[in-house]
Amino acid sequence: MSQEDETELSSLKRSEFVLRKERLYRQLLAGCALLTIAITAGIILALSGQALVFFESVSPIDFLTGQDWSPLSNEPSFGILPLVSGTLIVVVGSAVVALPVGLGAAIYLSEYANPRVRAIVKPVLEILAGIPTVVYGYFALVYLTPILRDGFSLPVLPEFIANALPLVSEFTLVVPGLFPEVNTFNALSASIVVGVMIIPMVSSISEDALSAVPDSLREAAYGLGSTKFDVSTKVVVPAATSGIVSSYVLALSRAIGETMIVVMAAGESPKIPTVPNIFDNFTASIETMTVAMVNIAQAESLGESVTYESMFAIGLTLFALTLTMNYIAELISRRYREEY
Amino acid sequence: MATETEALQHSGRFRLKAIKGRAFEAILIVATLVGLVALVMLFGFMFFDAVSPGSASAEWYLLFFGTLVGPVSAFTLYGRRHPAVRSANARASAAVFGGLALSLSTFVVLKAMSPYGPLVYLITVGSLPLAVAAYGRYTGSSYFVGPAMVLATLLAIVWTLGSEVLLVPLLDATFELGNQLLGGVPVLGSVPVPVDRGLLVFAIAVGLPTLAVANSVLRRQLSLDRLLVVVAVLLLSAAGTSGLDQLLRPYLEPLPLWAAYGGVVGPPVIGLLGLVVTRRRGLRSGLVAAAAAVGGALAVAVGALTISVNPRLLVVLALGMGVPTAYVVGETVTTDPDGRVGVAGPFIIVGGILLGAYIEQSLSVAGPDTWVTPTLLVESWDGLFPTEAGAYPSTVGSIMIVGLMALMAFPVGVGAAIYLEEYAPDSGWRGRLASVIELNIANLAGVPSVVYGLLGLALFQNFLDYGPGLVFSASATLGFLILPIVIVSAQEALKAVPDSLREASYGMGASRWQTVRSVVLPEAVPGILTGTILALGRAIGETAPLIVIAVATATSSAPDGLFSTGAALPLRLFAASANFDPAYRTGVVAALAIVLLVLMLTMNAIAIIIRNKYQE
Amino acid sequence: MSEPEPETQTESTDEQNESASLIDTHVTADSETGRPRVHGESVVEARNLDVHYGEEQALSDVHLDIYEREVTAIIGPSGCGKSTFLRCINRMNDLVESAKIDGQLRFRGTGMYSDEIDPVALRRQIGMVFQHPNPFPKSIYDNVAYGLRVQNETVTDDIVEEALRRAALWDEVKDQLHTSALDLSGGQQQRLCIARAVAVDPDVLLMDEPASALDPIATSKIENLIEDLSQEYTVVIVTHNMQQAARISDRTAVFLTGGELVEVDDTATIFENPDDQRVEDYITGKFG
Repeated sequence: MSQEDETELSSLKRSEFVLRKERLYRQLLAGCALLTIAITAGIILALSGQALVFFESVSPIDFLTGQDWSPLSNEPSFGILPLVSGTLIVVVGSAVVALPVGLGAAIYLSEYANPRVRAIVKPVLEILAGIPTVVYGYFALVYLTPILRDGFSLPVLPEFIANALPLVSEFTLVVPGLFPEVNTFNALSASIVVGVMIIPMVSSISEDALSAVPDSLREAAYGLGSTKFDVSTKVVVPAATSGIVSSYVLALSRAIGETMIVVMAAGESPKIPTVPNIFDNFTASIETMTVAMVNIAQAESLGESVTYESMFAIGLTLFALTLTMNYIAELISRRYREEY
Repeated sequence: MATETEALQHSGRFRLKAIKGRAFEAILIVATLVGLVALVMLFGFMFFDAVSPGSASAEWYLLFFGTLVGPVSAFTLYGRRHPAVRSANARASAAVFGGLALSLSTFVVLKAMSPYGPLVYLITVGSLPLAVAAYGRYTGSSYFVGPAMVLATLLAIVWTLGSEVLLVPLLDATFELGNQLLGGVPVLGSVPVPVDRGLLVFAIAVGLPTLAVANSVLRRQLSLDRLLVVVAVLLLSAAGTSGLDQLLRPYLEPLPLWAAYGGVVGPPVIGLLGLVVTRRRGLRSGLVAAAAAVGGALAVAVGALTISVNPRLLVVLALGMGVPTAYVVGETVTTDPDGRVGVAGPFIIVGGILLGAYIEQSLSVAGPDTWVTPTLLVESWDGLFPTEAGAYPSTVGSIMIVGLMALMAFPVGVGAAIYLEEYAPDSGWRGRLASVIELNIANLAGVPSVVYGLLGLALFQNFLDYGPGLVFSASATLGFLILPIVIVSAQEALKAVPDSLREASYGMGASRWQTVRSVVLPEAVPGILTGTILALGRAIGETAPLIVIAVATATSSAPDGLFSTGAALPLRLFAASANFDPAYRTGVVAALAIVLLVLMLTMNAIAIIIRNKYQE
Repeated sequence: MSEPEPETQTESTDEQNESASLIDTHVTADSETGRPRVHGESVVEARNLDVHYGEEQALSDVHLDIYEREVTAIIGPSGCGKSTFLRCINRMNDLVESAKIDGQLRFRGTGMYSDEIDPVALRRQIGMVFQHPNPFPKSIYDNVAYGLRVQNETVTDDIVEEALRRAALWDEVKDQLHTSALDLSGGQQQRLCIARAVAVDPDVLLMDEPASALDPIATSKIENLIEDLSQEYTVVIVTHNMQQAARISDRTAVFLTGGELVEVDDTATIFENPDDQRVEDYITGKFG
C-alpha cells in the first residue's frame, strides 16, 4: 500500500524540467508584453531627454508663450503658440466636418439602416480610415484646393461615346469655385480632408455606443407613442452620450497628431490666428506642430543644435496633449460601459 | 384603409411630426453619404487622371469585355451557385496570385540585396534550430527541444548579423550612457573602460551563450557528448561573433546566381510542401512531392539555360508560384470532384488578360492613355521625362521595410497577446501589471505616428549611433507603431476561441503552453491573420515617421541590405507631389497614389475575405 | 446501513482522516440481495471540503469517498455544487481565479492540493468529459491522439483503435479517421470525447452531465457505454436526470442547495429508502 502510494505520488509530482520549460515560455511571452511598456518608456525618455536639453537653452515659459516660431532662421526663435493655434485651426475645421457627419452616419447605421445596408456601408466607411495619409495629402493639395478655388467640370461620358453622339457632349458636370481667395497651401482643404479621414472613427465608435443602448429603452419609448425621430434623438442619443463624446475626443486627438495631410496641403507659415475675421485663417497657409517637426527633420545637417532639439520639445507637447485626450476618452467610455 | 390612415394622421401636429421625422432621416442619409461621396471623389479624380479611361477606344472596351470581363463574370455567377466551385476557385486564386505577389516581392528584394546574403541567413538561421532538434532526437528527450529551438533561432539571427551591427553599438551606447550618468561623480566619470572594446564584445558574445549552455547541459551530468555540445556552442558563437555572414559567404559565392535564388526560395517552399503532403498523405508522398518540386525547378532552370535566358526569375516563379499552384490544383482535382472546375478561375483571369493584350498588340487597338504602366514599377525615377519615371527603388524599399517589420512585430505582438489573454491572471500583482499593460497598449495606439518617428530617431540615430534612415531602423520604428494594432487584433482573435476547447485540453492533462500551441493558436490563426494584414496595410502607407528618421524621400537606387539607406513608396509620392509639371502632378503621382490605394484595398479585401470565411 | 465515515464528520482532525483513509475496503449492504456489499479501494476522498467562488459558497463541508471501479452518480438541483465538486477532483477549478478551496481532497491517499502536486500531471490520471461535446477542430484520429501527444507518449494506430472501440465508436468512424471531428453527430462527438479521455488510460473518469445535450437514442448509447467503462475505470458522473442515475450508477451522492452533501449511499438505497427526508422529497419531485 505505502509502496503504491509513493509511486502514485511521484507520478503526480511536477517534473522539474517541464516546469522550467513552462516558466521559460511564460517569461518569453511576458517579455513580449512588457516590450510595450518599454516602448512607452522609450518614447517618454527620448522625448523628455532631448527636450530637457532644449529647455536648457530656451526657457519653457518662452517656449510655451512665445508668439514667433522661426527655428531655421539666423536668429532662431522658439515660440510654440503659432504652431498650437495652427493645430487648433485644423482641429476645429476637421471637427466641423467630422463630428456632425460621423454622428449622423452612426445614428443612421444604428437606428435606421437595415442590416444589409449596414453590412455594406460600415466597411466602406472604414476604408476612409485606412487610406494612407500621404494619399489624402496629395488629394487635398492637387485636387481639393483647386476645386475649392476654381470649381471643377467633369465630362459625364467617356470620349468615344461623347464623340459618337454630338448632342451628348454638352453633358459636363460643372461646379463653380466656392472660395476663390484660398491660397495654394491652405488650412481649409487640409481640415476638410482630415475631417473626412476621422469620420469613420466617430461613426464606428459612436455606432457601437448607440447599439449598446438596450432595446428595452427603445421599446419603452415606442410604447409611450414616440416616433422613431423622438426615440433616436430623445432616448438613444442621450443614453449613448458618453460613448459619443469619447469617440469625439479620440477622433480629435487623431486630428491633432495628423501629419502628412497638413504637411502637404496646409503649408509652412506659422502665424497667430487673425481674430475678427475667423474664416481668413482657413484660406491662408498655416503651420501646425506636426508640420514644424517634419520641417526640422527634413532640414539636413542640423546636428545636435537647439533647432534639432526643439523638435523633441514639440513632440513632447504633442505626446502629452494626445495622451491626455486619449486618457479622458478612456475614462468617459469606461463610464458608459458601466452604465449597462 | 384610407380612412384609417386619415384617422391616424388627422391632426396637423402628427403630420408635422411625420415631416420632421422624414427630414431627420434624410439628414442622416446625407451624413452617411458624405463619407461615401468623399471616398468616390478621392478614387474617381485620381483614377481618371492616372488611367484616363476616356481615352481608350470603344474597341478596346469591347475587346477586354470579351476576353476578360465576360468570362470572369460568367465564371463568378457559376461559382455563386456551386459553393464547392467557389471555394476551389478561392484556393486556386490564393495560390496563383498570392504566389505571384510573394515571388515577385522576394525576387526584387533578392535582386537588390544579391541573394548570397539571404542565403547565408537561411542556412544559419535554419540549421541551428534543426541541429537542436536533431540533438534532441539523439538524446531521446524532447522536452528541451522547443525552448532551445527558440533560443537557437534568436542566437542565430544575432550571430549572422555579427557583433558589429548589434552588440558594438549597444555596448558603446551603454558606456556612453554610463559616462553621462556618472559624469557628475568626478572619480567614477573619469575611470576608463578597463579592457579593449573589441575584446569585451568578444567575451560577452562568446561567453554568455557558452556559459548558459554549459550551465543547463553539464550541471546534472558530465559526459562526452554533452561536453561536445558545449564546445560546439563555443566555436559557433566565436564564429558568430565575427559574423557568420562574412565567414560563409566566400564558400557560397561560386554558386551560379540562379542557384542562389533557388536556394533562398526553395527550402522554405519545398519544406512546407513536404510537411503539408506528409500530414495529409504520409511520409512517402511528402518525399515524392518535395522531390518533384526540386526536379521541376531544376528543369525550369536547365530549360532556360539551354535557350540562354537568365533563369533566376523563372526559378523563383517556379518555386514560389508554380509549386503552390501545382499543389492546390492537383489536390483539388484528385480529391474534390465537385469543386474541380473552380481551379480554372485564376487561369481565366490570367488568360483573359494575356489574350486581350495579345489581340490589342496585333490589331493595334487604341487602349487608354494610362500612367499606370509597368514602367511605374520597374524603372527608377526620372525627373525630366515623365513617361520614363518609375518608383522601382522605392517599391523595393517598401517591400523590405514592411517585410522585415512583419518578421519582427508579428511574433512579438502575438506573443504579447497570448500572454495577456492566456497567461496573465486577473488578480495579484501580475494581474495589475497586465491591466497596466493593456491600458498602455490602448494609449500607444493613440500616439501620433510622428512621435514614433522621434522614438526611432532617438533610439537608432542618437543612442545606437546608426546612420540616418536605415532599412532596419525604419522597420523597427514602423514595428513599434503597429505593435498595438497587432496585439489588440490578436487578443480579439484569442478571445473568440471558445473556452470549452481550452477546458477540453486542460482536462486531457495538457499544460498551458501545450493548450495554447495546439488548440488555441490554430483556432485563432485566421483572426490573427486578418489583423496582421490590416496592420501591414497601415504600415505600407505610413510616411511621417519615415521622414522623421530621415529615410531619403527621393532615391535612385534600391537599398542593398538591411543596414543601408531605405526608401519607401509613400515617400516618393510625397517628394513628387511638390512637382508642378502637370505630367507629374496629375499623371505619374496620381498613378503612384492609385497603386498605393489599390495595394491597401487589396489587403483590406483579403483580410475581410479571410474573416468572413472563418466567421461562419 | 450508512457510510462508516460520516460519523467522524464535524470534529474530525487530520489524524482521524489519515486513519480513515487506511481503511481501504468498505462494507455496505447490497439492497437487492440484502448481503453486505464490498467496495473497492477508495480512490478519491473528500474531507471537510469547502469551496468559495469569491464571496459565494459553492460547497460546504463535503465528506465523500469514491470507490474503485464503481459508477458514482452525483445528483441534485441546479446550482447545488455538483459540478463544482467534480471540477475539484481534477483541479479544473484552478483555472477559475476566484475559486478558493479549503479542506482535504485526496487521490489515492495523496493530498491533491498539496504544493508538490502538479495539476497537469493530476489531470493525466483523472480524465474529464464535459456537458457539451467539445472535440478539437482536428481530425478524429488527432482528437484521440491528443492526450498521448501532450504527454509525450508514442501514438500508435492500435491505441487509437482501442480507445475508439472502448467508446463504441470504432465501427462508425473507422473509415473516416482523418476527417474533421466536427462532422460527426452530437452523440458521436460525445463518444469521441470519451474515447479521447480513455485513450490515455486514466485512473478516474469524470463526466459532467455527459448526455444532457443529446437526444434519447444517443443518451442511451452513452449510458450503456458508461456501464461498460465501469468494468475498468472509476467513473464519477454528475447528472440532473434521476432516472439516469438510478439506471447506471452503483452509488449516488445527493447534493442540495448551498453545496451541502445530504446523503450518499448505494443507489438502490437512495432511491428506495433514503435516510434524509429532504432526499426523499427531492427524489419524489416535491423539491428541486
